[in-house]
Amino acid sequence: MADLSINVMVEHDDFFLSINEEISLTGITGIFGHSGSGKSTLLKVIAGLENHAQGKLVINDLLARDALIDSEAKIFVAPQQRNIGLVFQNSRLFPHLTVEENLRYGQKRRKNTSVNKPLDFAEIVVLTKLDNLLSKSVAQLSGGEQQRVALARALLAEPRLLLLDEPLSALDDKNKSLMLILLDKVQKQLNLPMLYVSHSLAEIQQLANNLLVLSSGKVTHYGDIHQVIHQLTTNNEILHQTSLSLTMKGHLAEYGLTSLVLGDQQILMPLNQQIESDANTNTSIRCIIAASDISVTLHEPSESSIVNHLQGTITSFEPCKSQVLLTVNCSGQDFFVNITAWSAQRLSLIVDQKVFIQFKANSVRTLR
Amino acid sequence: MGLLQVRILISLLCLGLMLCSSPLVAAKNFVNLDEKNSDEEPLRIAVAANFAPTLRKLLARYNSDQKAFIKPLIIVASSGTLFLQIQHGASFDLFLSADSERPQLLIETDLAFKASQQTYAYGQLALWSAINDITLDPLIALKNNEQRLAIANPKIAPYGKAAKQVLESLQQWGDYKTRLIQGINIGQTFQQTRSQAVNLGIVSNSQLVLNNLKGVLIPTRLHQPIKQQLVILKRSQNSQQAKHFVKFLMNEKSQQFIAQSGYAKLSEVEEKIKGEVKGEVNTHE
Amino acid sequence: MNSTPPDILALITTLKMAGITTIILMLIGTPLAWFLAKMKSRGKVFIEALVALPLVLPPTVLGFYLLLLFSPQYLPGQIWQETTGQQLAFSFSAIVIGSVLYSLPFVVQPLQKAFEQLGDDLLEAAAMLGASALDRFFTIVLPITKASFITAASLGFAHTVGEFGVVLMIGGNIPGETRVLSIALFDHVEAFDYAQAHIISISLVISSLVLLSLIYLLNRPNKSRLKSSKPVTSQPALPDSVISKRQK
Repeated sequence: MADLSINVMVEHDDFFLSINEEISLTGITGIFGHSGSGKSTLLKVIAGLENHAQGKLVINDLLARDALIDSEAKIFVAPQQRNIGLVFQNSRLFPHLTVEENLRYGQKRRKNTSVNKPLDFAEIVVLTKLDNLLSKSVAQLSGGEQQRVALARALLAEPRLLLLDEPLSALDDKNKSLMLILLDKVQKQLNLPMLYVSHSLAEIQQLANNLLVLSSGKVTHYGDIHQVIHQLTTNNEILHQTSLSLTMKGHLAEYGLTSLVLGDQQILMPLNQQIESDANTNTSIRCIIAASDISVTLHEPSESSIVNHLQGTITSFEPCKSQVLLTVNCSGQDFFVNITAWSAQRLSLIVDQKVFIQFKANSVRTLR
Repeated sequence: MGLLQVRILISLLCLGLMLCSSPLVAAKNFVNLDEKNSDEEPLRIAVAANFAPTLRKLLARYNSDQKAFIKPLIIVASSGTLFLQIQHGASFDLFLSADSERPQLLIETDLAFKASQQTYAYGQLALWSAINDITLDPLIALKNNEQRLAIANPKIAPYGKAAKQVLESLQQWGDYKTRLIQGINIGQTFQQTRSQAVNLGIVSNSQLVLNNLKGVLIPTRLHQPIKQQLVILKRSQNSQQAKHFVKFLMNEKSQQFIAQSGYAKLSEVEEKIKGEVKGEVNTHE
Repeated sequence: MNSTPPDILALITTLKMAGITTIILMLIGTPLAWFLAKMKSRGKVFIEALVALPLVLPPTVLGFYLLLLFSPQYLPGQIWQETTGQQLAFSFSAIVIGSVLYSLPFVVQPLQKAFEQLGDDLLEAAAMLGASALDRFFTIVLPITKASFITAASLGFAHTVGEFGVVLMIGGNIPGETRVLSIALFDHVEAFDYAQAHIISISLVISSLVLLSLIYLLNRPNKSRLKSSKPVTSQPALPDSVISKRQK
């Protein structure tokens, strides 16, 4: 199992970052935090662009165990030798080179230490949909196209780890979705571990399987993404929400709905045709349901326009001023529900009570 | 650069511009503050650099000796610079050149009075080293010197021209030609020799006397006399005063003083001239 | 050498001096400009002032001190004499050294400005793609700041050709070695040889105009240039000091 052992410290004028954590490098790890939390700094430390980092940073992948920073041994590996890629928020394409020359820049300098065969240039171009843009100059590209080139360029350098620093921040919504799909595809196809920094939890939730949360220069949470979001919700650190990964069952095209499997129940969400479904594999869809979008009934609703009703048991009851945060477990999945304290009292809700939760199809949100 | 720094830079630039103006207008103005007489116009004397110190002393003598009083404004520069300034309208009263060509040219172009043209001093060359005192006879020293020699540029400086004549007389010009450090005037030659960057220099003896240094005189027979001539300029408003001063300058006491200041003894030179007049036309290049 | 007309010889000497000076300046000016561009400490201002000094110092001041330093009286002159066996004062090497010092800001300032304008973004991206420092310089910095390099070299060259005061002090007017065009011009004027003086002057004016026009042409904002996502363009900026001095 590849991992990144971080035990570093960075001190600037009014900022102090101190991380001691071991992050596993499988799939995509999200790094979430508000402005000033230190997430970009952490990325720079890993990339080698932060000269004031002290401590120890060791990357353990299948081939080697490399100390990238070791202050005691006076080791500080330069960024160009770390074999780590970085996609920046601004694409930073080289203005004096064409798109193709930009792509080749990384490829020409790859370290060639991968066990896999070298990446095929054409394959990456097709994957990132840049076929028609190769001969163009950088100035002629749109924002979304520029980021795709930046991504492809970083990939062609064949890094063993890809860092992404708010790569979607400068894009419009449509391009955001496209990039998210692309990143997911790339990760799976190349089996390339990624660290994805963002201040948008929604973005991260769509991609990452692990989540590292930073606040004021320190790690506050690390673990499976749904669990961490769960914790964040419980700690009132974010808007209460339920984060899920569910398998898609099928489409109800004539009704504009997609069906997701939840144990022996199902959840209906707005039709999502962007998901390419393969008959053999079960496509998994990540979605978020805000706690304020779910309501509770004592009896199964029979004639309601609200399409989603799930049966479950109340497992926790948290009063919060005039609200109550309920955790309801349906078919093994915990759902967070916000209701007024008044309703909770009216319905006499208590822990272990069997209830039904309801929410509209539209409440099931996904970025893709 | 910040705004403050830009301002400082501009001020320094203006200062620099004033200081490093081209040689064409780089004359130094020297105002004698002791004798201020607000009613009278000063007597503007343009003097070649090498004679300036001597001139000042003579003026002091004049003002203490004579009944009349001169308030001088002394303009010091190279003869060439002063000449150009006069040509372009500078309002000097008296011009003391280091050569005889320029006064002659001024007369020919009707800028100066022919009657006033006369030789006020004869230049005396000296061989000097700032590194070792010269103990040998200068002619032998020049012959033996294998290194470089500093002289004033023969094409533009009268002392340089004389130095070239000396080397030619000694049949050494061809030998020295590639080893010369040429100064733009005798003043620079003196400075260059003084810096010890060159072993040996042919300088003006008056400079050595002024600075209390010891060199070896180069016999005047080896070169054409360095006639330093003066003229009174036609544009002058003060020609009476100028005439008076010139008379003083040319009297025996003053001439003796001039010789003591490091210029050639008049008698020696006159003998040579007498010898030349017999067969030669007085040439000026 | 004896058969070459003296003014042609002066021209050759001038070109040699300016050429060698420019090469030296590009070699030492580039790292110096880079160092200044990346420097963040307070000492930066002091070094910048030092580099800019020749802009405001009268050339005769610089020449005067150099003459002293190069003479055998002082250490630099002595060291030179010991290592090369030649005297430093009144030599070709002396005027090259003097020119390098005197034209330094004209080379360093445009380069420094260009490097500062380039910023760190593209260089960081290149590093993450595996490019070493030298690699980044040749594949990113140089191509993008190309025009500034040409400007710096041209300014350094032109300024050196026009130099008079420093060469006057430390040159010694030796034909073929230190008698450059500006000195030759002065000689002609002093010797009333105005015809030759005009020839030299007009040639200098014309060649300077041509060179400067080239520089300003290169510095025009060029609309067909490639733009990146960041407002970094290959348009070099003339430092203000140069613009104001050229307006003299």
